Amino acid sequence: MSDTLLEVENLRTVFHTDKETIHAVDGVSFDVQRGETVGLVGESGSGKSVTARSVLGLVEEPGVIEEGSIEFCGDELVGGNWDEHRGDIAIVFQDPMNSLNPVYTVGNQIKEALRIHQGLRGQAATDAAIELLEDVGIPDAARRVSEYPHQFSGGMRQRAVIAIALACDPDLLVCDEPTTALDVTIQAQILELLDELQREEDLGVLFITHDMGVIEETTDRVNVMYAGEFVESAPVEELFDDPKHPYTKGLLASIPGRTAGGDRLPTIEGEVPTSTSEPTECRFAPRCPHAFDACDEVHPERIAVGDPDADHETACLLYDDEFEESPPEDGVVADGGETA
Amino acid sequence: MAIPVIWLGTSMTWYIIFMGPIDPATRLLSEGQVRNPAAYEAAQTQLGLNQPPLQHYVDWLSSLIVFDLGRTWLLYQGSSVNALIMDFLPRTLWLGFWSVLIAIFIGVPLGFYAGMRSNTVADYVASMGGIVWRAMPNFWLGIMLLAVLGSSQAIFGFSWEAIGPNLTSGISGNPDLSYMAGNPIAFFTNPNATLQAIKKVAPAAIVLGSASMGNEMRIGRTAVLEVKNQDYVELAKVKGVSDRALVYKHILRNALVPLVPIITSEAFLLIGGSVLVESVFGINGIGYLFFQAAIQGDLPLVGTLMYVFILMIVGINLIQDVLYTLIDPRVGLEGE
Repeated sequence: MSDTLLEVENLRTVFHTDKETIHAVDGVSFDVQRGETVGLVGESGSGKSVTARSVLGLVEEPGVIEEGSIEFCGDELVGGNWDEHRGDIAIVFQDPMNSLNPVYTVGNQIKEALRIHQGLRGQAATDAAIELLEDVGIPDAARRVSEYPHQFSGGMRQRAVIAIALACDPDLLVCDEPTTALDVTIQAQILELLDELQREEDLGVLFITHDMGVIEETTDRVNVMYAGEFVESAPVEELFDDPKHPYTKGLLASIPGRTAGGDRLPTIEGEVPTSTSEPTECRFAPRCPHAFDACDEVHPERIAVGDPDADHETACLLYDDEFEESPPEDGVVADGGETA
Repeated sequence: MAIPVIWLGTSMTWYIIFMGPIDPATRLLSEGQVRNPAAYEAAQTQLGLNQPPLQHYVDWLSSLIVFDLGRTWLLYQGSSVNALIMDFLPRTLWLGFWSVLIAIFIGVPLGFYAGMRSNTVADYVASMGGIVWRAMPNFWLGIMLLAVLGSSQAIFGFSWEAIGPNLTSGISGNPDLSYMAGNPIAFFTNPNATLQAIKKVAPAAIVLGSASMGNEMRIGRTAVLEVKNQDYVELAKVKGVSDRALVYKHILRNALVPLVPIITSEAFLLIGGSVLVESVFGINGIGYLFFQAAIQGDLPLVGTLMYVFILMIVGINLIQDVLYTLIDPRVGLEGE
């Protein structure tokens, strides 16, 4: 674990609006090693995508990275140094319908990346683009290369977007819910493709999703995000075997098919709050089945839990020795949230 | 589609003029003559109104199709309508051409600029200017512009007439286009006459183009704002495309798509607007001719001019469709 690609330290991204300041990402730290897949999981509005956009330098007015550092291969990116590393970090967006420029051919858009990052032009670029399309599993690539995005299906477009990402010859691939807009069979194919490419190219992958099932399949390490903060981080097996934070437990319990019996699927009541100020309390407390008095007054810090070798951390007062409440027995999961 | 539209438009025009409540024959005659049955009969025969309506309709339509537009009745009495239109139309086209050009080359870039720099001082100035500019009615703006240019010596300290090409016949009036008659290349080979004709028509073109300019600015700004935040623009940015290429290649071409119908629909407005502006600036264009024909009751001429306008509008629509297919590959010609 010496080959660190990305190191994010205490990242804070805020959006200044006329009325208030929204803390979309609030003190987040993680790193991605070469060849590793790191997952970011959480509900809509928890700050996953803003984290990804911060890493890519796509945060624009009124948003600003207020604090923290993002180091890529040892170079600090915060402060506008993305240009030097353009292409080293590639992205696959959620919506393939919108990721390709409708007025240029798919080949044109791949070749643009090839020209910038590999200096290929003319026929050499066309050949390379066809090869890339074949690599991502598009049949009849020689013909497809001169077609427009609207002639591609959703899954094909996502493959084309991945081909563009590969044309940049990246070290790190950020996948922002790459399969959310696709149907399940295509989803499996795309995940398989990403997995294959990662092994071939030894990429680091930052994988963002709200689908715990996808997380379990694809990632090595998981960060559970809630209201701009990481409430739990652990290797994927550890997280699924021994979740600590009540929110993680709630997420796991609400995966269809995981809980036994034909009862209603457990849910977590309520919505992710919008963080408008520095936290003085646990942001999950209002929805937490195990919240106690101190949760409204103390902002939990991240503490090591579980298997000492597993690098498992959570931010929950239940595991803090200073407080008397102790975590619930395992198996009694999210008992306050079972009314769907 | 074009053919049925032309047919329907001209048929409605015929119906309103010849079957409508106004008797074209009485309009041709003076008060005294109306009561003279012989004169009235003669006028009816002249107009072909004594024929059965269907026969008249077929005659009228077939002569339009072969561009045999007949002769005028009241206005420039008895002159050939074909010759009249060939005389008046170039001035209107000249005026329309420059006002569309002003709108496109000032309004669109200004809107794109404001969109790229949204919520900056430059954006506010441009947006504000666009709204104010658009809010000025063109008959008022025309009169104001003439007044200001007429006394430019006193207001600005230099004379509008003294800068650039010399105008022999005052600041308003007909641009002299005769040098291009039968020889359009003279536009380039005789730059002096071209500049003179441009300067002559410039105030009218600015007035006529002003509303479109403001409109195109606002639409252009919105279009850029919309495209700027699309995933594909961000993907291109992540890809490492330079800021310059990002703007010119990825943003502007997509932002042009919603502007095409705006620009072409404004070309329609120019036809209507030219009636007013040509009157204010004393340009003998086809709009002015239409206005005169309408108020003097030369209904056959009105009908013929309507036909010319319909042809122009359908033509502009065809150009719009072609432009669409050039800019946006999603629009195919087969689907029409």
